[in-house]
Amino acid sequence: MSEAAKKEHGPTLVPFGPQHPVLPEPLHFDLLLEDEKIVGAVPQLGYIHRGLELLCDKRDLADYVHVAERICGICSFMHGMGYCEAVERLYGVAIPDRARWLRTFWCELERIQSHLLWLGLAADAFGFENLFMATWRARELVVDVAEETAGGRVIFGSAIVGGVGRDPDDETLRRCLEAMRPARDETLRLAEVMLRDATVLHRLHKVGPLSRDAAYLLGAVGPMLRASGHDYDVRRAGYAAYGEFDWSTVIEEGGDCLARALVRFREIEESFKILERVVAAMPAGPTTVPVKGPPPKGEAWMRVEQPRGEVLYFVRSNGTRQLERFRVRTPTFANVPAMVEVLKGASLADLPTIVLTIDPCISCTER
Amino acid sequence: MSDTYKTTGASRVEIEAIAPEGLLPRADALRVAGWRLIQVLAISMPEGVELSYSFGLELEMRVLRFMARPGSAVPSLTPVYAAAFLYENEIRDLFNVAIERISVDWLGKTYDVAEAGRFDTMRLSMTSSEEGAR
Repeated sequence: MSEAAKKEHGPTLVPFGPQHPVLPEPLHFDLLLEDEKIVGAVPQLGYIHRGLELLCDKRDLADYVHVAERICGICSFMHGMGYCEAVERLYGVAIPDRARWLRTFWCELERIQSHLLWLGLAADAFGFENLFMATWRARELVVDVAEETAGGRVIFGSAIVGGVGRDPDDETLRRCLEAMRPARDETLRLAEVMLRDATVLHRLHKVGPLSRDAAYLLGAVGPMLRASGHDYDVRRAGYAAYGEFDWSTVIEEGGDCLARALVRFREIEESFKILERVVAAMPAGPTTVPVKGPPPKGEAWMRVEQPRGEVLYFVRSNGTRQLERFRVRTPTFANVPAMVEVLKGASLADLPTIVLTIDPCISCTER
Repeated sequence: MSDTYKTTGASRVEIEAIAPEGLLPRADALRVAGWRLIQVLAISMPEGVELSYSFGLELEMRVLRFMARPGSAVPSLTPVYAAAFLYENEIRDLFNVAIERISVDWLGKTYDVAEAGRFDTMRLSMTSSEEGAR
């Protein structure tokens, strides 16, 4: 477009989504373009909003776990667990040690499968189909372990108010760790393949940078925040059993798409290490504690580090078995302003890559 | 419940009641001190909609809270925290709270709801019971 035409017509408005070949979920942007350059992006939510929060006052608080787990199909266990921990705080109940460690086991299992799922989707977006298939083959082993230990491949169904509803024995947990070893080895091999491929590096390196200050001020969370150099991970608060063994927060400094990819790769490796520690130190004992009667009037907050970042749960009780309010602030919701910032100045061709390295979960966002 | 069980993951939450006009000065002071916005929460109450603005610094959380009375306007937090526009558009659509001068304003089109303020359940139930009485 000529300079005169640009002045006369201004930027071109191009809708992106909600249906787009590269997006697994319906995300929508109104993009303002000058030639191929994005000069502005207005996000639009609400396309598939489900109103799940409103259901809390129509369901018994113990039954509502099933709804909370269905906020998302990728991090369902952590949603269920976060809700349960918030309700347990409301009651002032502490759950048995084994239940806390089993929750930690399933959280890390979910983080691994989520990051592998993301890697496959990202590879598919680059047109790297072999990598996509290899990644999801590795993920399958992890999902198999979820099924064997929790009972579900997508919706684990093992979080309950007062503990966990499944108790895989220690021998099963050790066998599952062994069963996942090929997935761990394969992920390391795939990381070498992906992060040394010239085409992939060309699509990721110095693309979609988010500065350290912008990431913080715009409220970015999870790998998006840590890839911009922030040492921030809510697991440090020590919920479940995270306060009882050593683990590392994965941080990168680049702030670009490559840094976000690296954070997830390294987190997969760290999660496998955490799983080993959890299984090795799994305490014996009961897995539930009775939680009966209505909770006292009051409110409770709970923060959980999901694969995409920090989630905040809020519950308020009016003294009955139906909660007055349940609120979940999901990581993608928090990452939208940072996503808009990153898109400004990017090329239209880089948009799918940038959006995918943020790993948006619209299912969570449209709770 | 056994005394041997531990309560875990306790991170401190401090709640401070403020007046609506105190929101921007208090939030600005928090931003200068390094706190960042975590979320804005709305709860339907008989006397209005209770708004809670959560801010985080490391693992601590601070909440500024006030009641948005029906018919009164609430200032937008976006001049201080640009990321607040998402929460404010959502709250306006679902809880029918009048929030003034949101920087990115979707003009009530965030959610295509059949009934404005659908999440303001307390108010809706009061309105329907009043209509039923008539």
